Amino acid sequence: MNASPAAQPSQEHSAARRVFHWLQRETADWLRTEGERWIFVAKAMLASFSALWLAFRLGLDAPYTALATTIILAMPSSGMVLEKAFYRFLGTLVGCSAALALVALFPQMPTVLFLGLALWVALCTGGAAMHRNQQSYSFVLAGYTAVMIAVPAVDAPASVFTLAVTRVTEVGLGIICSAVVHDVIFPRRHSRAVMRTVQARYAGFIDFCGKVMEQRITPAEAELNHLRFAADIAALESGRAAAFFEAGHSRSHTRQLHAFNAAFMTALTTFYTLHRLSHRLRTAAGVACDDAEGGRAGAAAGMDRVLALVAPLEAHMAAALHDDLTSARLAQMRSALAADIAAAREQLAAGPALDRAQQIDFDTAVELLQRFAGNLADFANLYHGLTQQKRQQVSDPGAYSPKTPPAIIVASGVRAGATLLITAAMWYWLAWPATVNAILMATIFCALASSSPRPTVLVQQVLIGFLIAMPLAFATEFLLVAKADNFYPLVLAALPLFAFGAYLSGGPRWGGVGVGLGMFSATLVVPANLMRYDVEAFISSELSLTMGVVVAYLMFKVVLPEHTMGHRGHVAAALWREAQNACNAKLHRLKRRFDNRVRDLLSQLNAAAGPAPNAETRAVVRQGLTLLELGHAVIELRELIAASHAGAARDSLQAVLQLLAAYLHAPSRSSGERALQAILDAGTAVRAALPDAHPERRVRLHTALTDLHSIYTSLLDQLSGDSHVPTPAA
Amino acid sequence: MFQHLPREVDFFGVLLPGVLPVFLAAVVLQLVLDAGLSYLGAYRRSWHPALVRLSMFVCIFSALLVTLYK
Repeated sequence: MNASPAAQPSQEHSAARRVFHWLQRETADWLRTEGERWIFVAKAMLASFSALWLAFRLGLDAPYTALATTIILAMPSSGMVLEKAFYRFLGTLVGCSAALALVALFPQMPTVLFLGLALWVALCTGGAAMHRNQQSYSFVLAGYTAVMIAVPAVDAPASVFTLAVTRVTEVGLGIICSAVVHDVIFPRRHSRAVMRTVQARYAGFIDFCGKVMEQRITPAEAELNHLRFAADIAALESGRAAAFFEAGHSRSHTRQLHAFNAAFMTALTTFYTLHRLSHRLRTAAGVACDDAEGGRAGAAAGMDRVLALVAPLEAHMAAALHDDLTSARLAQMRSALAADIAAAREQLAAGPALDRAQQIDFDTAVELLQRFAGNLADFANLYHGLTQQKRQQVSDPGAYSPKTPPAIIVASGVRAGATLLITAAMWYWLAWPATVNAILMATIFCALASSSPRPTVLVQQVLIGFLIAMPLAFATEFLLVAKADNFYPLVLAALPLFAFGAYLSGGPRWGGVGVGLGMFSATLVVPANLMRYDVEAFISSELSLTMGVVVAYLMFKVVLPEHTMGHRGHVAAALWREAQNACNAKLHRLKRRFDNRVRDLLSQLNAAAGPAPNAETRAVVRQGLTLLELGHAVIELRELIAASHAGAARDSLQAVLQLLAAYLHAPSRSSGERALQAILDAGTAVRAALPDAHPERRVRLHTALTDLHSIYTSLLDQLSGDSHVPTPAA
Repeated sequence: MFQHLPREVDFFGVLLPGVLPVFLAAVVLQLVLDAGLSYLGAYRRSWHPALVRLSMFVCIFSALLVTLYK
């Protein structure tokens, strides 16, 4: 500042104010980011040490289980804590029962017992791979709890029941403490986060539609957007599942969210079909113009005319999307669209007749636009119902059903079972008692990481956490905890270590490290009711725990390293199988299931690909979207066939389906071309039935034509890009 | 008539505290009440829904204990 402050007190005043504002801003900023994190740490510590205190007070055998439970349950929002708590309890109960059954069956035969355990763990881990989120965690837990109970009971089968009861009690204690603390003290409600997701999704989709219709986005970007939307759909479903456990989340809300997700998927698919049609028209018009000198001027002119008729319809709709879509405005948009379409038809009739193919293009574009307007209206209505907290009577379209490629399910099961057997063999041959810890850790992390798209990264992070915790836990135990003669000094001694772990796990970057650090410390540092300080045993445990994680890491590197969640090749093959399913499976709710599963596969792909998917991943996405369109059209066609009377049109449609199923079963150029020919024939047959059909049937026939058209074009796309077609064995 | 409620329950040879069944009964009652209140949208009017829910549970559990263990 050049002017002297004494001469201009007002400026000094404003400078002070600026400093004050700056401080205020920084503080608010800190409160939003770091402050939230420290509140999380404080809550986690409160839950941990209250559980520990209660466990000591009640004289439980292994207080560290209660502590470890609270550390595992420390999640950012209260809904997530409650959900995980519920599934943890469920998994623990099932796991303990399985352990009791196994030990009771084979009390004197450790080899058979271990084989049985390996089978159980393999089944549970496979089950975990089939599910998502905390349901998957429940399966993982059922698997490794059985190992935790049964392995120490190998030498003393009589104590197994006590072990199981202790485990359930302490896990229950930890769950209650965590649930109460995280739900009641400074809760971060998950339903708010879900509503924010809903709003962001709505805004994102409307914006995306506008951009695409005004051609402000490249096809590659559009594909990435579709991939992200698929991930969003899965995320909204998992968020809804977590918010379900919070107070005030009613069933009608669940139904509304399901319906919202379903309406979104439908709108997205219709929009994709529409977008591809107009994209194809545009490129065809461009190519035809280039060829115009070669005598194809007529075709070019036809394409141009169709484009010239369709483009303003799209532009009007895109303009309508800029406003807030209230139901009145939506009705207005639809009537404007109908008027536009009528005008376009008149214009078309006034000019010279179009080629047959171009006529079909035009009809399909019109039908798709109308359908999209309808889908959009449903979607917007559901959105407004959600944001204005109106209770809407919506029929539940059913929960989101995930889909994991079977090869991955089997691989995760085999890997987890093999890990258990290998570590058990190590236990036997090394004759080192502490290897029990290694068995547990290897099994736990093999199972946990199986449901993660990048398991080695997760296990690596946990390993880093273990390595950091080794010296820290040692120092805490023998320099601090050993001096504590009471519960409160003990808390003081252990607090820094646990708070550090909780702080790390509160952020996304080092979450795995934090969990590893917390688990390791919880297992070792906390005193039992009767404390023994034994340096040798402590180091032995430290080494064996770390060894277990190393084994898990090696197993992921060595045993079927390509069979992980969302691996490109597996997803591509599974998408292909889903398309086959669309041709053959039972029709009941098939559309919803098909939609869910394809989107789930895409979201797995997204999770595995990270923020910047490479070209191969994008090729799989493109193929997935094409198959999605194809499958939708096939399912609709099948519904039409099921509802219609026998006749030439129906027979020809059935022939299309058969040939298409044959093509999807064994993709080859010749079978693809046969299917294309059948589609053309069916088109002729349906058109022949059109003139003397009554109005209701006419609508259905038009739908059939649209479906045939989208099957035809997506099949053409498949055949032109044969490189994406995976062999069924891939 | 409830004076003779057992302090401990014998569960396959393991003695479990007698309040456990009461606790579970309270959980079930709470779940029913919770579903009802969610349906009516009563939580939307409260300042801290989770606290309301917890307090309700404590009330139910205590009421059961007070009436069953005289």
